[in-house]
Amino acid sequence: MQQHTDIIDKAAMALSGGLMLLGIVGLGIVEVLAGAPYGAAPVTNDAGEIIATPMVDPTIRTGLVIAGLVVLLIYGLYRLATPVEEVEATTGHETMAD
Amino acid sequence: MSYQAANPLADEFELELGGAWTAYWLAFLRVVTGWWFFHAGVTKLIENGLSYGYGPAYLQQMTGTALGPLPVWMGANLGWLIEAMVPLGETLIGLGLMVGALVRLASVFGAFFMTLFWVGNAGFGHGVVTGDLMGLLLFVTMIVLATGRYYGLDAIIEKTRFVQRHPRLKYLLG
Repeated sequence: MQQHTDIIDKAAMALSGGLMLLGIVGLGIVEVLAGAPYGAAPVTNDAGEIIATPMVDPTIRTGLVIAGLVVLLIYGLYRLATPVEEVEATTGHETMAD
Repeated sequence: MSYQAANPLADEFELELGGAWTAYWLAFLRVVTGWWFFHAGVTKLIENGLSYGYGPAYLQQMTGTALGPLPVWMGANLGWLIEAMVPLGETLIGLGLMVGALVRLASVFGAFFMTLFWVGNAGFGHGVVTGDLMGLLLFVTMIVLATGRYYGLDAIIEKTRFVQRHPRLKYLLG
């Protein structure tokens, strides 16, 4: 079954997917290329003092993912608020053989 | 038996959304995700009833996160609601997923809970992809694939005359 997607569907998919992938993978690659620490949280010593911080603040990365989720939520609410399209009845078409 | 180079799975193990293996696996994932939340909720209900004091305290320590002042404000001003809604919400979300009723609606709330846990726990020592994020993505998967339709009550509820007359409800069911 081929599902119909309009410009709103495509925009929601591109924007939400783009934001979430940027936060998780895109900035993750930047983090790895920037060198240690490779995690997304500050590294502390036994005394609890911060000895190294990640290049990209995890607040920015989580913020991008949350923004992507918000796009999906808004899209869902939009779908809920707009009338449901009637499913076109597939009319059978028979051709008589000659 | 045909073999499609572009899609090697397109034979007996083709993962169509209507396929037997897809239905089996999506229903399984839904029930396990549901049990995860149901267990978390019902044990809080047993131990603390509707007064889960850790909920507001947890939110109030969420300073400087991507969610801004929202969690701290919720913890400070909606404490009475949080204390009741964390155990009750987790239980109902879990129950909904396990029986497959109102799965999409329940999963929206599940995703909301998991966003707070993901950001609040902030266990990012090994990167931002944590178990909490995976749980969050599981709930989004429940919504996208409408898993309540696979061996779930939503499959029956969606066939009722009421839902047929109000098809928009399928965005909350499924």
